[in-house]
Parts: sequence; structure tokens; C-alpha cells
Amino acid sequence: MHPATEKLVSDLKGKNFTLAACDYAERGYHFEIDLAADRLREFAQCLLEQEMYLVFVGGLHVEPAIEVIYQFASYDRPCRVVLRVAVDNNNAIPTISDIYQGANWHERETRDFFGVTFTGHPNPVPLILAEEDVDLKPLLKTDANLKESAALRWVRVEEQPETDEKADKD
Amino acid sequence: METAQLNLEPATDIQHDNRYYLNMGPQHPSTHGVLRVLLEMDGEYILDPQPVLGYGHRMHEKMAEHKNWMAFMPNTGRMDYAAALPYNHGFVSLFERLCGIEVPERAEYIRVITSELNRLVSHHLWLGAFLLDLGAFTPILYTFIDREKVLDILEDITGSRLTYCYFRVGGVCKDIDDKFVTRTREFIKYQRERFDVYNKLVTGNIIFLKRVEGVGVISKDMALRYGVTGPVARGSGINYDVRKNEPYSVYPRFDFEIPLGENGDSLDRYMVRLNEMEQSLRIIEQALDQLPAGPFLGKVPKKLKMPVGDSSFAVEAARGELTYYMVSGGGDIPYRLKIRVPSYSNLSILPELGQGILLSDLVTAMGSLDLVIPEIDR
Repeated sequence: MHPATEKLVSDLKGKNFTLAACDYAERGYHFEIDLAADRLREFAQCLLEQEMYLVFVGGLHVEPAIEVIYQFASYDRPCRVVLRVAVDNNNAIPTISDIYQGANWHERETRDFFGVTFTGHPNPVPLILAEEDVDLKPLLKTDANLKESAALRWVRVEEQPETDEKADKD
Repeated sequence: METAQLNLEPATDIQHDNRYYLNMGPQHPSTHGVLRVLLEMDGEYILDPQPVLGYGHRMHEKMAEHKNWMAFMPNTGRMDYAAALPYNHGFVSLFERLCGIEVPERAEYIRVITSELNRLVSHHLWLGAFLLDLGAFTPILYTFIDREKVLDILEDITGSRLTYCYFRVGGVCKDIDDKFVTRTREFIKYQRERFDVYNKLVTGNIIFLKRVEGVGVISKDMALRYGVTGPVARGSGINYDVRKNEPYSVYPRFDFEIPLGENGDSLDRYMVRLNEMEQSLRIIEQALDQLPAGPFLGKVPKKLKMPVGDSSFAVEAARGELTYYMVSGGGDIPYRLKIRVPSYSNLSILPELGQGILLSDLVTAMGSLDLVIPEIDR
């Protein structure tokens, strides 16, 4: 492991953030972590201090609550971190746009598509959609298509259940 | 007839200074697409430039949730229209890795050659358009002569000139022939001579230098906070290129350099892209020398079965890092596909970059970012 990556993992561990290692050859990123919304800002601050940049912020509509996905990476070594944070009962999550200014637009886009409120965002107005389409929330799933968060977690390829050919047909 | 109610009270909240708003776009030649920038101005100086997006948004991410990979392929060519092949590349590579599909070596070489040719034409387009923004009309005529030559080569192989849909899961859809190899080799020789023309015409030109030197400076810290990638980040001296940092395809087999700037101004970004064109030629040359024989399309099952879970694939597009992040619930249609495009993060820097500079310098700075709006409005 790159010394800077080792430092990142141990520093985060010192702050009680445990990164789970992933197989890069399978997943395309190195670490994943799930956090509660109240620890998000502290985590983002740590990553900025370690010179990790923000790749993207995106939403994922799952049961029981929408998850906001953050990906961070490094400019000088292969090191990608995926962070998942579930929104609270009011569909809200704290903003990180004062820590990573690049998150500003990503958060506005996620608000447009999923209706997630980013608490403390300096400019919470639609970015992509028009003002009158604010209720559209185009990336929300219908009830029939909605899946449990646990059902979308990575399963190692050799442990994949055999899918039924007929059920797969539609 | 109803009369409109008029508010005849004198307005008290207007501050009588020199501030005014100016709309640049959505149809403005130097925004390169349907982008509007709302400028708060004080005389010729910009106080606050705010890009307004979404005029051409097509919701590719929603479409991805309703189609299998084959049906979504044409969409990947319609985001960054100037360099569509790296978008093809990232998308098929993601599926190949997930479904464990072997890609023949020849196919990977063809992918690299065509992707680099595509990067080259993208930089041709940028070079011409950037200088056009600065008021120099002639260079675009020169770069388009060169661009057309590559487009002709690519058209023969891929069937299209702009929105390519050439890669397939498991390879590419058509093999390259001797004619392609000969024409590409001829082009490499020709393009190397053309760099002298560019340099004589533009690089040493005092008017050009005065317009770009020290304009739109992006510091390393600023790039980090916004997640800037690609030639824009490299212009600020950040040695980051996905082709080197997280090598994919057969890129590790080629010897090429990552050009870097020092000051992070528009001139550095110009130099980085110009040098990158030469590096692309080097990659293509080596790939043509090493080009193995064999099939161009591997064996692929009719219906792909993706494992459950999320995965990510990053490639170096012409404008920076492109990441496909997919969450799959099994089957062959993604549950969610997030597409991280480079121009999005690169443009989000504009409100900070444009503060307090002249309007004419904003045009320079925006041109040097090399924006493709359909990629942002994806």
C-alpha cells in the first residue's frame, strides 16, 4: 500500500472512521465506508486535509432511506474512497459545500433529481431542472422498482446466486 | 377590461451604484453550446459570474435505468460529442470487468488508437475555438483542415464522424485494415509538421501571449477543492492522468509523458493541450507498431449477467476524469448509473475564478477550460 494511503487509513481510524478495503480489480475503488449523517462533515474535513479531491456526489433511491454517495480520489496515487450516507427522516443531510466547494453543484443536482435537502447549502436552488419542475424528482424509483439497500450491496462473484433464466427474461 | 395593478410606490431598495446584470448566453458564440452565464458586473469588471445550466439536459442517467448495455451504447457517444470514444471505452470496460469478459488484445489496441485519435480531434476543435474566442479567426481554419483528416480516417472505421458508437462489450464492432494503418501513419507525419505551423501562427504571437498570460489562474488548492481534473488540473502542475494513475486497457505498455504547467494560467493550459497532442501521436505510433493480429471481438454471451453491487470505472477523457459508477441489482440493466463528467467539475470553478476579472478575460478563462456543454447537461 502507498505510504500516504496507509497514513490516510490510520488517521481515519484514529478518528473512529473505519475504511473497509475493497478489491480494486473487481470494484474499481479501494475503500468503502458507511456513515451516519452527523459524522459526514467531520469525515469530509479529514479527507480534504489528506488532499483527497471530490470525484462526485450522487443519490441512490433505496429502502428504507435515500442514500447519498460520495466518491473521493487522490491526485498522486491510486486511492478511491466511496462513502454512503443515508438521509434522515426529513430527507435531509448536511452540506459539505463549504469544505469541498466542488460539492456545491453536485448537491444541487442531487436535490433536483432526488429531492434531498442539503442543510446549510449556500444556494439551494435548482441547477439542472427549471424552477417549476422542482417536484419532478426524476431519479426516484416507482414502488415496484424500489429495492432494499441491503439487496444492492456487493456480493462476491463466486457467491452470486444462480439466477433463473425465465425470471430474467423480462 | 381589467386594468393591471401598478405599484406606484417609489422603489427604495435599489442601490444607485454602477452594478448591473449581463446575460452571456444561452446563445453566445464563446459559451460553446447552450450555456448561460449570469454576470453581475461593475463596469467592465465581473463581480459574480453564475453559470445557469440545464438547457439541453437529456437525463442519460434515467435512460440507463431502462436499457441494457447495448441499447445505452449510443447514449455514451452523445455526452461529450467532441471526444465520444473515451466515453464508449469507460462504459464497455465497466461491463467487461463486472461480467468477466475477456477482450482480445487486438481490440484493446484498436480502442487505444481510436481513442487517442479522438482526443486529438477534440484538441483540434478546442484549439481552433479557443483562439476564435480570443478574436483570432485564422487558426480554426488550419486546425479544421487537420481535424477533417482524422475524422475521415475514423469515419471509415467507425461509420460516424462525431457521436461514435464503435466499441462493444468484448471488443469493437469493426476491424481496422491496412488502409487505416497507412493513413494513420501518414497523418502522424503530417501532424508533426503542423505543430510548427501552430507554433509560428499562435504560440509565439505577442497578442496571444498578452491575452492569456496570467489570466484565469487556478491554484493547486483551488483545483483540489473543486475536483478539477484533466488538462485544466495539469496546467496547474497537478500530475494526474487516469491513464498513468490508474492504468486501464493497454496504456501501461506505451511510453508517453504527462505534460504539466506551472502557473495554472490560460497559457499553461494551452501548452499542456498542445503537448498532449504530441503525446497522443506517440501512443498511436507505438500502438500501430505493436498491433497484434487476432480477433477484434471476443466471445460474449447474448445476455449479460451482472453481479449484485456497486462498482466504478474511471478513464481519461479528453477533458479529464470520466467515472461511471454503477449500482446493479443483478440482470443486465443497471439499478443506477452515475456518470461523473470532467467538464462539470471544471466549470463549477467559474464563480470563484471569474471574480473581479475583466469580461474579456472571462472569455479567455472559459475558453481555456475547454467546455463541452452537453457533457455537463448530460
